[in-house]
Amino acid sequence: MSGRALAERGLLAVFVVFLLTVPWSVPLLLNPFWVSVIAEILIWSLFAASANLLFGYVGLLSFGQALFFGFGMYGVGIGIDHFGLSFWPAFGLGIVAAMAMAFVSGILAVRLTWHYFAIITVVFSLIFYFIAVSAKSVTGGDDGINFALPPTFSFGTVQYSFADANFQYFFILAAVAICFLLMHLVVNSPLGKAFLAVRENDVRASLIGLNVYVIRLIAFVMAGFLAGVAGALFAFFGRYASASYMFYTFSGEAVVWAIVGGAGTLFGPVVGASLFIVIREVVSTHWEHHSLIVGVMAILVVILAPKGIVGLWRDWVDTPADSAEIPAAPELRTEP
Amino acid sequence: MTGSMLKIEGLTKRFGGLTAVDNLSLDFPEGKLHAVIGPNGAGKTTLFNLITGLLKSDSGKVQFRNHDISGLKPHQISRLGVKRTMQIKSVFNQLTVAENLSITRQSAQRFLHPLRPASRDRQTRERVDEVLEQMDMTRLAGQTAGTLSYGDVAMLEIGMAVISEPQLLLLDEPICGMSPAETERAVAKILELARTIGIIIIEHDMEVVFGIADDITVLAQGALLVSGSPKEIADNEQVREAYLGRPEDEDYVDEAAHA
Ligand SMILES: Nc1ncnc2c1ncn2[C@@H]1O[C@H](COP(=O)(O)OP(=O)(O)OP(=O)(O)O)[C@@H](O)[C@H]1O
Ligand SMILES: [Mg+2]
Repeated sequence: MSGRALAERGLLAVFVVFLLTVPWSVPLLLNPFWVSVIAEILIWSLFAASANLLFGYVGLLSFGQALFFGFGMYGVGIGIDHFGLSFWPAFGLGIVAAMAMAFVSGILAVRLTWHYFAIITVVFSLIFYFIAVSAKSVTGGDDGINFALPPTFSFGTVQYSFADANFQYFFILAAVAICFLLMHLVVNSPLGKAFLAVRENDVRASLIGLNVYVIRLIAFVMAGFLAGVAGALFAFFGRYASASYMFYTFSGEAVVWAIVGGAGTLFGPVVGASLFIVIREVVSTHWEHHSLIVGVMAILVVILAPKGIVGLWRDWVDTPADSAEIPAAPELRTEP
Repeated sequence: MTGSMLKIEGLTKRFGGLTAVDNLSLDFPEGKLHAVIGPNGAGKTTLFNLITGLLKSDSGKVQFRNHDISGLKPHQISRLGVKRTMQIKSVFNQLTVAENLSITRQSAQRFLHPLRPASRDRQTRERVDEVLEQMDMTRLAGQTAGTLSYGDVAMLEIGMAVISEPQLLLLDEPICGMSPAETERAVAKILELARTIGIIIIEHDMEVVFGIADDITVLAQGALLVSGSPKEIADNEQVREAYLGRPEDEDYVDEAAHA
């Protein structure tokens, strides 16, 4: 195994141990509020992973992932509030709704390339945002849907639900971890290699026998799945569904997180989402223009490290010891 | 083997006012090494683009063996065993040489497994090693394709075209930009391939064309000027005037004419 692979395994192990002990270590080191911030970071990481699957692996710049996040949210919210569904069916409804929407919009969108694709994803987002805001009876309009949380598991009188903060944290951790594991498997599979082929050179990809359209559509639906799970988790986490998370600027944030963290790497979105949300949480209490810092950081990373923070770290580790003089790399190094 | 491998009937392609391929009918028999030559802009590459589905013809028909492939998508035509290289070399630049080859190999399969590791496919790995060896590129296996020399990219592209056992191989100026040593290696490889599969090669290097082709098709302004054996082409006055007038080509042509 290469030195880098070893180092990354080590970091991953530390990261996993950290994540598994968050409910106890974080209140001790910081305060209990940060446990829910970390849960939120996990959800945003998954959302950024959705943008990353498209941009980093298939080469599709989507500003529409918030649409599928929103469908995941509303699937849960409407499922519980209107249909009286319990936890799992509502969860399932959110995911299926997101994937179905991804499939339908993907049929049209993935025919287009590059800026046309990006534009149509924005258009879809806008259309459904305005529908969500105006269809008050279904979506609650501007107020969104607030719902009472059903239990996740009940065994006789014993119930586990998101009302228990630790349960909530570990449920989100498990769901996000499973999604990342799935993504890890997919991107290393023959299908994932076909994604790379399409990203790198779609003409060549078609000439070696790949149906570029179908591959893009599969990726789009898979990304819809990731965004849908993230949206459904966020609905349970916040006990509400709201159109504001369906706006296209929110999709843009996911793209920025993924690119800054490292597009085309599994953990890039985690790094990017963590970085920006930690900045937001730390700075926003002191200064209302925290998004300015975020913007400047994003620009700096894109200029100084076009492969994102994970790419920077990899270049740094791969550089032979005698010429290890990559500027600023040690300061920017983060968890995987 | 007899019969036609690729048959083109009345093929036409216009770009605005320009007719790049003009009501062209050609017949490439099985089991031969065919060369297509013609001056710049004659429509040779456009012909390949029409055959492989990258461009849609305005009219006409392309038949590969007993399949009518006009109107099929590039991936469908590729799956029938028609593979090509591009005049402007086209590989997966950010991936390694070995990855380029293994992706190409796996993409020929009907089902792309979404969860099993691609690297665990032993048959693909063995085939990649085999092709690396054949193309004399084993030492470059781990190198990123975008950092290869021009000649090596051209070699890699040929390797990608042959890794999935094509039936018909279309090579668009495969040796353009290669060093003399690389040219020799590529020509030997092409001759070896031609023993088992049909090849159509577009090439400007007349030494190579007259050295390896079984028959030659000359295009000019999108239409067929003449086709025949190298000797017939070399003897043809029209060709000499229209195309082979350049002094540096005279030697090979004379050689072929007297062969
Ligand atoms: N996509 C396109 N759009 C517009 N015009 C094109 C296109 N492709 C080719 N042409 C034009 O069609 C004509 C034939 O081009 P083509 O590339 O087929 O020639 P060629 O025989 O391959 O020439 P060369 O030997 O220079 O490669 C040229 O005049 C070219 O400018
Ligand atoms: Mg050409």
